[in-house]
Amino acid sequence: MRKSLPLALIFALVGFGLSAAGAAAQEKPRYGGILNWYDYADPGRLDIHSESPLGVQQAVAGVYSGLLHYDPDDPTKIVGDLAERWSASPDGKTYTFHLRKGVKWHDGQPFSAADAKATFDRVLNPNFKSPRCGSMLKPMVASVEMVDPHTVQFQLKFPAAPFVSAVASAWCRVVAKHVLEKYGDLTKPEAQIGTGPFKFKRYERDSVIEWEKNKDYFIPGLPYLDGVKQFILKGAPTQLAAAKAGRIHVWDTWPPMKKTQADELKSARGGEVEVYQASINTIFLIYMHTQKPPFNNPDMRRAVNLAIDRQELVAKTLEGAGVPCALLDPKLVGDFALPLAEVNKLPGCRQPKDQDIAEAKRLVEKHYPNGIDVEAAVRSVGGYIDRAQLVLSQLRKIGIRGTLKTYESAAGFAVYGKGDFTFITTQDRAMVTADPGDVFALIYTTDAGSNWGKWSDAKVDELADRGLREANRTKRAQIYHELQRHIMTSAPSAVPVGWVEGWFFQDKRVRNYKASPTIYDHSTFMKVWLTQ
Amino acid sequence: MARRLELTIGMVQEAGLAPERVGRARGLLRALSWFAARQPLGAIGGVIVLALIATAILAPQLAPHGAKDAQFTQYLPPSAEFPMGTDHIGRDILSRVIWGARLSLYVGLVSVAFGVTLGALWGIITAYFGGWADGASQRAVDALMALPPIVLALSLMAALGQSVNNVIMALAILLTPTAARTMRSVALSIKESPYVEAARAAGCSHWRVVFRHVLPNSVATYIVLFTVNIAYAIVVEAALSFLGLGAPPDEPSWGGMLTAGTQAIETAPWMIFFPGLAISLTVFGLNLLGDSIRDLTDPRLRGGLG
Repeated sequence: MRKSLPLALIFALVGFGLSAAGAAAQEKPRYGGILNWYDYADPGRLDIHSESPLGVQQAVAGVYSGLLHYDPDDPTKIVGDLAERWSASPDGKTYTFHLRKGVKWHDGQPFSAADAKATFDRVLNPNFKSPRCGSMLKPMVASVEMVDPHTVQFQLKFPAAPFVSAVASAWCRVVAKHVLEKYGDLTKPEAQIGTGPFKFKRYERDSVIEWEKNKDYFIPGLPYLDGVKQFILKGAPTQLAAAKAGRIHVWDTWPPMKKTQADELKSARGGEVEVYQASINTIFLIYMHTQKPPFNNPDMRRAVNLAIDRQELVAKTLEGAGVPCALLDPKLVGDFALPLAEVNKLPGCRQPKDQDIAEAKRLVEKHYPNGIDVEAAVRSVGGYIDRAQLVLSQLRKIGIRGTLKTYESAAGFAVYGKGDFTFITTQDRAMVTADPGDVFALIYTTDAGSNWGKWSDAKVDELADRGLREANRTKRAQIYHELQRHIMTSAPSAVPVGWVEGWFFQDKRVRNYKASPTIYDHSTFMKVWLTQ
Repeated sequence: MARRLELTIGMVQEAGLAPERVGRARGLLRALSWFAARQPLGAIGGVIVLALIATAILAPQLAPHGAKDAQFTQYLPPSAEFPMGTDHIGRDILSRVIWGARLSLYVGLVSVAFGVTLGALWGIITAYFGGWADGASQRAVDALMALPPIVLALSLMAALGQSVNNVIMALAILLTPTAARTMRSVALSIKESPYVEAARAAGCSHWRVVFRHVLPNSVATYIVLFTVNIAYAIVVEAALSFLGLGAPPDEPSWGGMLTAGTQAIETAPWMIFFPGLAISLTVFGLNLLGDSIRDLTDPRLRGGLG
């Protein structure tokens, strides 16, 4: 007996290793349990079509289904969700989606193509502000038609490459026509009626968001979980404390952990959690308002562009987890991105900074010989406060003296959206899809949803439009290269500091949870289950 | 400083509360050595407070680097180059603690000067005149005092927005009712004293009685309120900044530095140790000084020690 113990141990260990490796394939999913995670801010308004913070999308992610979505088993693939199948016409300008039959809304009403049409008519309405889904689809889609109660058809303005990934985005989830008619918008908790695996159960401001299992979900046998609870935890110390205490099962939201935090978690939880580093398809930006002094002056914008030390910001505030300077991240979009070797030689990006700082100082002195005081906005969430202080410290070197004005999360977005700022010290923008065109459509074109600084540049608009239309990959890459060079050498409103990466974890009790290339698209939890 | 202290001694003398020996003290030095002999703990407090004031005034000369300059490596432990280490974005903590003294003292002094003075005048005048105005104003004081101070301060900051001057305003509003209540009780007893009656009998106007007799005789209490509340104001400012609603985050506020430090409490404990120490020392010093001034001016305690 004594002799066989070590052997049994070895077998057990090997067995554990194997089962961990092929957990999803070998284990039988277990029903029940509540999965806990957290939302980094209070979402406030819950309308995914008209809001842009990740906190909002996350708050209702499991409640809705899309026409398409990223495959929960392999998030690099796009598969049908409400659409059983879909097809594109040979010219690439007509997409037809064949919808599932017998799908019911959470309030028992039947789902039909009329709901899909109402959804996309809503986000495509030129008078409706839709910073995520609308911003993506408006440039591409001409119209949406209902062919029959189970078929919906999109007419595109041109054969747009990123159309499918935009439709699969979690921001373009399908909502009920009758709910829109009843409530006018989806801001309130009672309007959260979807077709997804979970029903919206409870939202307590600044405290918790709860979903419960949808027993009539259109995929029989799913979901496995009885419910999902999101605690609203603000600030890294609180979030990390919850993780260390085992109160949350996954950390897959913004902001990711920093390295020191990840190390702290590993030492606290040891083998109970799996910690991994990943890109979050998010760009770290600094905004200047191009229609308000002093940044209505391109020289001042150029000065800021030159003075910002991206490498220092990434090294210090992201603990090195990021790609400084890049307007497109080669890790995410491959050769669509300008080679980093070229990027790192551009003014503002090149090291050492002495020459750029001297030039920036000269530009500021030319217009403001005694320097200038600027109000600098920052949302007091995540690591923004730290970043903001470092940004201001860098700008003080060239005579721009910033005074911080802090905003609560939702209030900050409201102010940015209205353009009610002079300078935003730091703000991350996550991409909706992994398409290289996203960053331009979301931030840099005149009509971009997050073009808060109201920059308008004819060449940017023209190149971004050509990029969307170009079907040939090589030619499309050339267009985007030209666009990146143009933005980085002109005086844009938004200075790209870098692409953000970070550390995440999931509890080993959580199974079948797959992280996707963008943190926006894997939070429905439809196939996730807990071992205990 | 010297002028203020002389003035204080003068006021205490006039108030008839200080022992005769103060009256005989000719120089400031003698007054101080008398104070040190009489109140050794108060003297220690005084030295700490003087050090704080000197640090605040000489901050530009004392601080090796700018309080907001983040050009160093982050999380450096204390060393010869950075005696208190560097923080999470690479600022010299020593320089921030030194500049923080200026911020703390500025917030403490100005808010208390406004809050306590306003409260004192309010309390004395309403106590003297009495009647329905006194009753009504006391109910207003009740209303303000019914709210927990930190909640009141937080809501004021949320409404006013984050800036150093708004912190001062919030603190002043916080300090006014307590000062008004305390000074009112002092003024009520003075109002009934024979010399006030005599002054009134001699035909002095109400305002003359208030400003020539009641006010000067309540100065001792005012001084105690002043010193003790500076410590209180500094702690509340630190608490507000710690909660992220005080001074803007890049201002070198000790409370704000504590907040930043909590992020790295295990990896860089020096980030909270030094600002924490600065707050504790300052409050300790101010409380020792305030307590001994109270002891000196309290007739009961004075009798016992004299």
